[in-house]
Amino acid sequence: MIRYTLTRLALLLLGLFVASVLIFLTLRVLPGDVAQLIAGTNSTPEQADAIRERLGLGEPLVAQYVDWIGGVLRGDLGTSLLTGSSVTDELVQKAQVTVPLGILALTIALAFSLPLGVISAMRRGRSSGTAISVGSQGLAAVPVVWAGMMLVVVFAVWLGWLPAQGFPRAGWSDPAAAVRALVLPALTIGIVEGAMLLRFVRSATLQAVGQDYVRTAAAKGLTRDAALIRHGLPNVGLSVVTVLGLQVAGIIVGAVVIEQLFSLPGIGRMLVADVSARDLPKVQGELLALTGFVLVVGFVVDLVHRALDPRQREAS
Amino acid sequence: MLRRTALAATALLAAGALLLSACTSGGASNTPSSTGTPDPDASAVIRLVLEPSNLDIRQTAGAALDQILVDNIYEGLVARTPEQDIVPALASDWEVSDDGLTYTFTLREGVTFHDGQPLTPQDVVWSLTTRKNTPEWSDSARLANVQTIAADGQTITLTLSAPDSTLLWNLTGRAGLILKEGDTVDYKTKANGTGPFVLDTWRQGDSITFARNDAYWGDKAQVGEVVFDYIPDNQAALNAALAGEVDVVTGFDANLKDQVEANGDFELVLGKSTDKGTLAMNQASGPLADKRVRQAIRQAIDHEAFIEAAASGETLYGPIPSLDPGYEDLADVAPYDPEGAKALLKEAGVDDLTLTLKIPNFYSTTIPQILVSDLNEVGITLKVDSVDFPTWLNDVYVNKDYDLSYVLHTEARDFENWANPDYYFTYDNPEVQELYKESVAATDPDEAADLLKKAAKIVSEDAAGDWLFNGASVVAVGTNITGMPSINVNERLNLAQLAKSNG
Repeated sequence: MIRYTLTRLALLLLGLFVASVLIFLTLRVLPGDVAQLIAGTNSTPEQADAIRERLGLGEPLVAQYVDWIGGVLRGDLGTSLLTGSSVTDELVQKAQVTVPLGILALTIALAFSLPLGVISAMRRGRSSGTAISVGSQGLAAVPVVWAGMMLVVVFAVWLGWLPAQGFPRAGWSDPAAAVRALVLPALTIGIVEGAMLLRFVRSATLQAVGQDYVRTAAAKGLTRDAALIRHGLPNVGLSVVTVLGLQVAGIIVGAVVIEQLFSLPGIGRMLVADVSARDLPKVQGELLALTGFVLVVGFVVDLVHRALDPRQREAS
Repeated sequence: MLRRTALAATALLAAGALLLSACTSGGASNTPSSTGTPDPDASAVIRLVLEPSNLDIRQTAGAALDQILVDNIYEGLVARTPEQDIVPALASDWEVSDDGLTYTFTLREGVTFHDGQPLTPQDVVWSLTTRKNTPEWSDSARLANVQTIAADGQTITLTLSAPDSTLLWNLTGRAGLILKEGDTVDYKTKANGTGPFVLDTWRQGDSITFARNDAYWGDKAQVGEVVFDYIPDNQAALNAALAGEVDVVTGFDANLKDQVEANGDFELVLGKSTDKGTLAMNQASGPLADKRVRQAIRQAIDHEAFIEAAASGETLYGPIPSLDPGYEDLADVAPYDPEGAKALLKEAGVDDLTLTLKIPNFYSTTIPQILVSDLNEVGITLKVDSVDFPTWLNDVYVNKDYDLSYVLHTEARDFENWANPDYYFTYDNPEVQELYKESVAATDPDEAADLLKKAAKIVSEDAAGDWLFNGASVVAVGTNITGMPSINVNERLNLAQLAKSNG
């Protein structure tokens, strides 16, 4: 287990390094620069050059990369070219919207996809099972934006129960208002992500039904459902843990879209704004942090999976 | 708990009533004049589209900054009204010498900055001198004709090297803003001006809040605070309005008029603006260097279609919009005439022409759609290259690497770009440049406007570009709101008169 953990850790660090180089280089391919944006459309080339000089944008790429990664190693993700504020501080601030949004969305997704996925598998061939299956297929195909609009029209505009957009200006100092602001966006992501998860749970359950050990258990006198629940579901759970890593990445991507739609001041919306402002030091800091987060989640998922699965433990 | 339930029940009932009224309200008219009494402590929430990337008014370009900071936070010696008249601000009055070379301003007394420091004549001298001498600051070149800036008591005197009919106007903009000498405020995230509002909080990526400046030298603001809520998406803005989360929606889509007015809480107001939907044509080389080809493109475009699609605005056939001096209706210069366009193309020997339109991706797709079909009609294939704004700046503005380009130029009185051969328009006509120079040098405003009019006509006749429409300011105003400006709000949003009632 220790050797396995160390190997995985080394892979994680390598992954982070490769990601940092890729992020740095791909952003440099983008045309246009922040200096010209600051100078605007009534500026002379000299004005833009002066700003470029002041911001240190003329430095060679290698020097810029070393400078950036050196800061990251010291725990400094960099500084915004436009606002001069610390990327770390802004990430922490925006994470107060995005992280609760993600957790809420994931909770919603799990809450309905796990039971419904199992039920639809166990009732395969019956009308209720088919209904769930078809329904989930439909939901998974729904564009996130459209789902969001529908929820807003019903719950915010017609019923007036929940806010249509935005996050309370008081932030989390008014927790009830903050949660209310997150319900519709989290539902939007949760429903779409959950529908996909449901289909996964269903197929994992169906696979378990066909496994020898379930059949054996059934042969020993358990009903088919009891055999599945006692012996099959732990294995379904294991596969779900593996998929959760991917699910987290999906939720981050979903957050980028949903935060735009609901005008939520989170990491996704900040990222979009910073890319279109060509605030590259900020964008690369944000992307590295997000990539790091997804990689760490994957790492933890792997460890948990291994700890839970006796077969893998014995093999090492 | 009981109160919660009661509240929820009321909300449900209200929502039901709302739905009903949406179905039944036919001809009932709602006036924007509020019936309630204004609440001096009210918080008015205004939806804006474009958030500034930082608040540094000295050197960060962009209309998003001027829109909220000028007039409300920062002031100059003079200001402009929504009707584009020049009025006193920090100067109580001013005089211009007959030769147009000396401007004398009387500075108000008892003006303080938001941090409590007094405004001194030296601050004015320092601000204008520094602006003029710091090329990195926006609009510094607009003070190029100013030779000396001096103060004697409360009298500020500007002497010019040559008459400049644009100077007063320029002083109402960024070039004339008065800052505190030696201020150490972090201008990117903070502000220290003399205006009727004080910057309270800026939640980046979300909203900016201004609070009333109780120490303001003039009439105090009518609301306790103003919140600028940045909501880029129009549908989201409509939802926010219907859910009662915003009081005013600017930059709105006039096509959504019925929806926003349905429950009687909002009225849609259309105001004039200096927004010019500008189709630039790269005439440096290639087929567009031929005036007949450019003229053919103009005649192939059905300008009315843009007005219909936006349900707002008016047609524009020259570089000067109706709010600016020198405007005249130039519709005759480029009438919609596809047959004439085809004839012109034939005459120019152009056949099977393919052009690319570079357009920033935040504009409505309606614009390229109309252009593609109109040009297709006369045998020109238009490819649309939708790019993000930094790419547009790089390719079109800096490198002039484009055939056709579309951008909404919002600035008032920006004819100078047609007189600048280095500008991305690539239009170079010495006669226009001379007329513009003469207009700037004119000491009589009417004469200056007349010269601009002549120059603008030549620009249009040369088909130096095309102007697809003169946009309108489309603002949905809550019926409990008064004093909301409706003219040119994309460029300036003076909120000194804004009031909100509880009723």
